[in-house]
Amino acid sequence: MARERYIKLLLVACASLSFLAILLIFIFIFKESMPAITKAGFGNLFLSTQWNPDQGHYGMLAFLNGTILTTLGGLIIGAPLGIGTAIFLDQMAPKKMGTLIRRGVELLAGIPSVVIGWFGLTILVPFVARLTNSSGYGIAAASIVLAVMVLPTITALTTETLRSLPPELREASLAMGATRWQSIRSVLLPAAREGILVAVILGMGRAMGETMAVQMVIGNSRQLTFSLTKGTGTLTSRMVTDMGEATGVFRSALFAQALVLLVLAMLLIIVIRVVTRKRKA
Amino acid sequence: MDARKRDRIATIVFWGIGLVTLGILAFIIIEIFGRGLITALSPSFFSGKPEAKQVGGGIGPMIVSSLYLAALSMLIALPVSIGAAIHMAEYAREGRFNNFIRFCLDSLATLPSIVFGIFGLTLFVITFRWSYCLLAGAFTLALLNLPILLRGAEESIKLVPQTYREASMSLGASRWTTIKRVVLPSAMPGIITGTVLPVGRIMGESAVVIFTTGLFIRTIPLSPFDPAAPLAGYIWYAQTEATVLDYRKIVNGGAAILLILVFLINFAARRFARFYAKRKQLEVKF
Repeated sequence: MARERYIKLLLVACASLSFLAILLIFIFIFKESMPAITKAGFGNLFLSTQWNPDQGHYGMLAFLNGTILTTLGGLIIGAPLGIGTAIFLDQMAPKKMGTLIRRGVELLAGIPSVVIGWFGLTILVPFVARLTNSSGYGIAAASIVLAVMVLPTITALTTETLRSLPPELREASLAMGATRWQSIRSVLLPAAREGILVAVILGMGRAMGETMAVQMVIGNSRQLTFSLTKGTGTLTSRMVTDMGEATGVFRSALFAQALVLLVLAMLLIIVIRVVTRKRKA
Repeated sequence: MDARKRDRIATIVFWGIGLVTLGILAFIIIEIFGRGLITALSPSFFSGKPEAKQVGGGIGPMIVSSLYLAALSMLIALPVSIGAAIHMAEYAREGRFNNFIRFCLDSLATLPSIVFGIFGLTLFVITFRWSYCLLAGAFTLALLNLPILLRGAEESIKLVPQTYREASMSLGASRWTTIKRVVLPSAMPGIITGTVLPVGRIMGESAVVIFTTGLFIRTIPLSPFDPAAPLAGYIWYAQTEATVLDYRKIVNGGAAILLILVFLINFAARRFARFYAKRKQLEVKF
């Protein structure tokens, strides 16, 4: 029937929209960042730590460093908490407690990033400031904020993985006389390894791209720093802070930062594909 | 025994982790509500006009902006993602094309929202010359939400028992009629629950809206081409620019209202899905 054919075509068009979207995003971001790559130069843009647009310095390394350190910090705190919570939910939590935590984690995932950022700005930053005798802004505060934000992602995905494991695995291990901890450590965790890895990578993606919450607590300075309590910036926070007044090459340099983020996000997806393909084989 | 002792320590540790997670959530919610609930519940605040320079401003137009934006964006995204989900679940065979589309969806899902934001800025606001408006934000957020919406719809469609389809087709219904009359109505409760996360995300999204819809308005937006200032973006703006003396009060109250809105949507969609599922079952019984 002709009608059925048209409908089918329409449905394919809907499905293809995701490809069109990613293509358009890539083309636009690339096109907008071209002036910076050609005029400011590759080295000035990607290999320099100096960010001073008024004098023609567009180096993004300081912010790339900020992005990497805050993401790692967020994962170091958030991943054990998330994975641990998932194991607790799967293995130990009494029914009511489990439901409470599961709902709680869902709510946590829904809390807007500005709200968490505001919370970080008014509670966390003063707390870090008092603890370390500094301004309180910086990588430490941003990492804790990001940990809170990756926690729901990692918990939910790990719980799903653990639940998809066959129950015989645990039963067999317990029947062999293993304690619960032994069966978690040597049977369940190895079986769920790939799923947990994917959960952590997706958490990483969320941490890397988080903008507003980080921008509110990182201090927004231009310096390259490895100190946990000195103000610095991330790729995302720099884009938000500067996009309003940027024009010309300056604006284009910000798009180049977006391009870097875009490439990093795609890399994460490719890594996940490789990890999950190995499991299937 | 050593192993038993270790097991006990592990149990204590995992209980601790579970309680810490619960504690973090409780701390944030209590803190936000404790600071902002009184402001949030006063009518002059949640329905009042914002002030650019004096104290005492409200956030009425911002709440309207958020709701309007969410509705508009879902109106765009939902039909497309249901269509794509039908294709993926009912027509397409698992093969290269599907695999490729999934790769695109996964990539869209991990792209930082700020990348969507500046994309929306260049395409809708600048290239299309719409300037800052609701529609620019709605389209950008529709793209942002496409992967989650599609996955939710696809899973709900796949959960519909195969026997339903067989029964319908054995009565002579075509494939499309089967989908329209049998599969989609049965999948609807699941599809509706699947909109909770995306709607909540639209409400909370600030990195996209500050680049596409605008940051500050004083009148309620009516047309999709009107500039708007969704609450989440305005909270950020009020906090960062701090042009009014009582900005702390506005941010505290706004954050509390934002949380209430997100929780309400969550609750309402669950309720609606349950109600819808129950009604459908009754129809089948008759």
